[in-house]
Amino acid sequence: MMRRRAWITFCLAALCFGFLPALIRSEYFLNLFLMFFLYVTVAQSWNLLGGFTGQISLGHSAFFGTGALITRLIWTAGVPIVPALIAGSLSSVVLALLVGVPCLRMRSAYFPIGTLALAMIAQITVANLFPLPGSLSRGYLTGYSMLSRYYLALLVAMLTVAVVYWIVRSRTGLALVGIRDDEAAAEAMGVRTFKHKVFALMVSSWLVGLGGGIFAYHQVSYYYSAPFELSWSFLPTLTTFIGGLGTIAGPILGAACFLGLSEIFAISLGEVHLVVFAFTFILVVLFVPGGLMSISTKIRSLTARIARRATRV
Amino acid sequence: MATLLEAQGLYKFFGGLTAIKGVDFHLNEGEILGLIGPNGSGKTTLFNLIAGVFRPDRGSIRFGGRDIAGAGCADVCQMGLARTFQITRPFPLLSVLDNVKLGRAYGSKPARTLSLAETEAIEILDFIGLGTKRSTGAGRLGLIDRKRLELGKALATKPKLLLLDEIMAGLNPTEMEAASNLVIRIRDAGVSIIIIEHMMRAILKLSDRVMVLNTGEKIAEGLPGDVIADKQVIEAYLGVDTHDAQS
Amino acid sequence: MGQTLVYGVLNGALYGIIALGIALVFGVMRYLNLAQGSLIILGAYGILFLFHLGVDPFASMPLIAFLLFLLGGALFWASFSRLIALSEAGRIKNSLLISFGLMLLIDNLATLLWTGDERSITPAYSGLTFGIAGLRFPLIGCVGVLSALVIIVALHLFLARTYFGKSIMAVSQDHEAASLMGVNVNLTCLVSFAISVGLASIPSALIGLKSFSPTVGIQWFNKGVIVVMLSGIGNINGVFPAGLFLGIMEAISVYFFGAPYREVTGLVVFVLVMVLFPKGLFKRQEL
Repeated sequence: MMRRRAWITFCLAALCFGFLPALIRSEYFLNLFLMFFLYVTVAQSWNLLGGFTGQISLGHSAFFGTGALITRLIWTAGVPIVPALIAGSLSSVVLALLVGVPCLRMRSAYFPIGTLALAMIAQITVANLFPLPGSLSRGYLTGYSMLSRYYLALLVAMLTVAVVYWIVRSRTGLALVGIRDDEAAAEAMGVRTFKHKVFALMVSSWLVGLGGGIFAYHQVSYYYSAPFELSWSFLPTLTTFIGGLGTIAGPILGAACFLGLSEIFAISLGEVHLVVFAFTFILVVLFVPGGLMSISTKIRSLTARIARRATRV
Repeated sequence: MATLLEAQGLYKFFGGLTAIKGVDFHLNEGEILGLIGPNGSGKTTLFNLIAGVFRPDRGSIRFGGRDIAGAGCADVCQMGLARTFQITRPFPLLSVLDNVKLGRAYGSKPARTLSLAETEAIEILDFIGLGTKRSTGAGRLGLIDRKRLELGKALATKPKLLLLDEIMAGLNPTEMEAASNLVIRIRDAGVSIIIIEHMMRAILKLSDRVMVLNTGEKIAEGLPGDVIADKQVIEAYLGVDTHDAQS
Repeated sequence: MGQTLVYGVLNGALYGIIALGIALVFGVMRYLNLAQGSLIILGAYGILFLFHLGVDPFASMPLIAFLLFLLGGALFWASFSRLIALSEAGRIKNSLLISFGLMLLIDNLATLLWTGDERSITPAYSGLTFGIAGLRFPLIGCVGVLSALVIIVALHLFLARTYFGKSIMAVSQDHEAASLMGVNVNLTCLVSFAISVGLASIPSALIGLKSFSPTVGIQWFNKGVIVVMLSGIGNINGVFPAGLFLGIMEAISVYFFGAPYREVTGLVVFVLVMVLFPKGLFKRQEL
């Protein structure tokens, strides 16, 4: 029942977003939707590790940036984008294995700080290694098509949501939420918790690396260290918490709110949306641990109760 | 009767403190072994050694013929040794059903598919009397239901040996009676049990054999009736549980 | 090389002072205050504002310290106080999340108020140096070392000798036992949090005299947290040596690898220490 409804929602979303470019020609809106897909990818991949497994990472910018860097370098060297994207995202996984796994070995409360340190190391190192911005050469610019970027970003976002949904519904997903709720109890019930945490980190870094690849494919010119900026770590944390930690719809909702607010304020006051989001984030952590999703569930059960009462009358 | 669990010369030190001091014991298949002793005598530490939370500093633990000392909780559980925690540890954000389903999905004889795990988890919930609360969030259960769930989670891993750590603390006499019956039914289903309990009456009634720990040492072992008449045991409990022990 | 080491020691003292505030809340409450760096930068903007009115940065420091103390108390009352009842791991995780939001809030408010431009406080004496044994010592850096020493000794005496300091020590060891002995745990936590935010005023002045912008707070926080981890959790006496250790390590790495990798050194040391020595390097006694 649940599964079928999720299928229908998923296919409807794919159809709507798939046919959207036929209705809306505006470059601005296509760009906006592309950013939405990118944010969903980043937030949902973060959610697998942070929301479902309970390991709050502040280092996703390192994986996002690595995906972007490697994809860009391979793609601009003349390789088609899809293999470049795959290579880029796999290099994120390699980074996660090399440096993220030691972070998982720390006491779990320090995981956020350890990953934050990693993100900073990666940012500084890349800024030092590649001090100049990378711009597309003339050949790439003449062939630049917004539509192909739009569809690739859509594909990656759909893939991310599908993969996370599939894992969370599986046997492994049950173990992940168990680890989040009580690691020692999960271990005592036969779950090899460290292995599962590594698995969640690998999948999460792979998906966010794909997101980085989309960034590299989309942007015409940027400093190589730009996708390594800490804001790419902060964004998924904020949006997922506000949307609803550990739910599939939460990060999507959070990403939509974030993008909407930033567009509203972009014209007048640059950083206001971040102030609003940071403040909301604190309120959510303190008072509404379930985020927007839990509010919507509450409203739904409330309206259901009212409806039931109304029919009884 | 075959020996299921056998421990020899167990030692565990915490800094300068010797928590377990040269304990030997064994458990036969289908047996209920009561583990008693005053507070801080090392009962829970002994459980933690058996369940793989700590590695003993000296000594061996053999379970079904294999050495499990320091094997790690998950591995020990997958070999068929489950435990409950003294302070219940449900997965608070998961439903009661998912709590138990996790044990069926991992544990020692995991169900082949997740839907099979769910069917079997529902059977376990019916067995422990939580069938009607399967979709409740585990964090919202009351004390008795939390205790039931703790037992259900351990049973869900299909253990050959079950370690029960004070599952009756805080229950009233009627509930305790029901819990005792449940323990006996679990044993009759072929599970061997080691049980820690402060309620003397319950443990004497349940156990085939009783072992007494005091300051990390085994001071007595034998039939329930013999053990409580032991002078050393009475001394160890003096002023704490003597009244209860004699009644 | 000698000159590099001088700078290393001066920077290290600054790291030590930054770490002091972080170590205090971490020791007493197991709160990890990610916003400490942003609060330091906020203080620097305050000192800059007063400097434009003609007040010397070191003269305005006590006022800024007092204002930050009040702000810290208010922040604790409004948000962090709600976490005291949680388990240790829960306190670390939730305080980290709240202060993460706070950091973004302060940084972006600062950007709105004062733009993202890099600022610097420049009194007449800011560039002065003096020479001893062929090495150059910048005046402000030396004042920084001195103030670090004074503050660390003062804090130590406060914790060890005063009644309130002792109640802070008691709470840091065991909340429940302290409250049973008649210590007002909530008040003690509030005051120690406020003190730690007030302590930010010293690095505010020292960093203000270098240069700052709204988003650099996290980098200074990182220096502080590296020092705290090196020193060992709850070990306030180890903070200053650990700060010097980090400063000197950085100086040596600058000598060998060049300035761009100075930041990386500390972070790499940090990650290695977290993985290899989870209890810290200078662990001697509990706070």
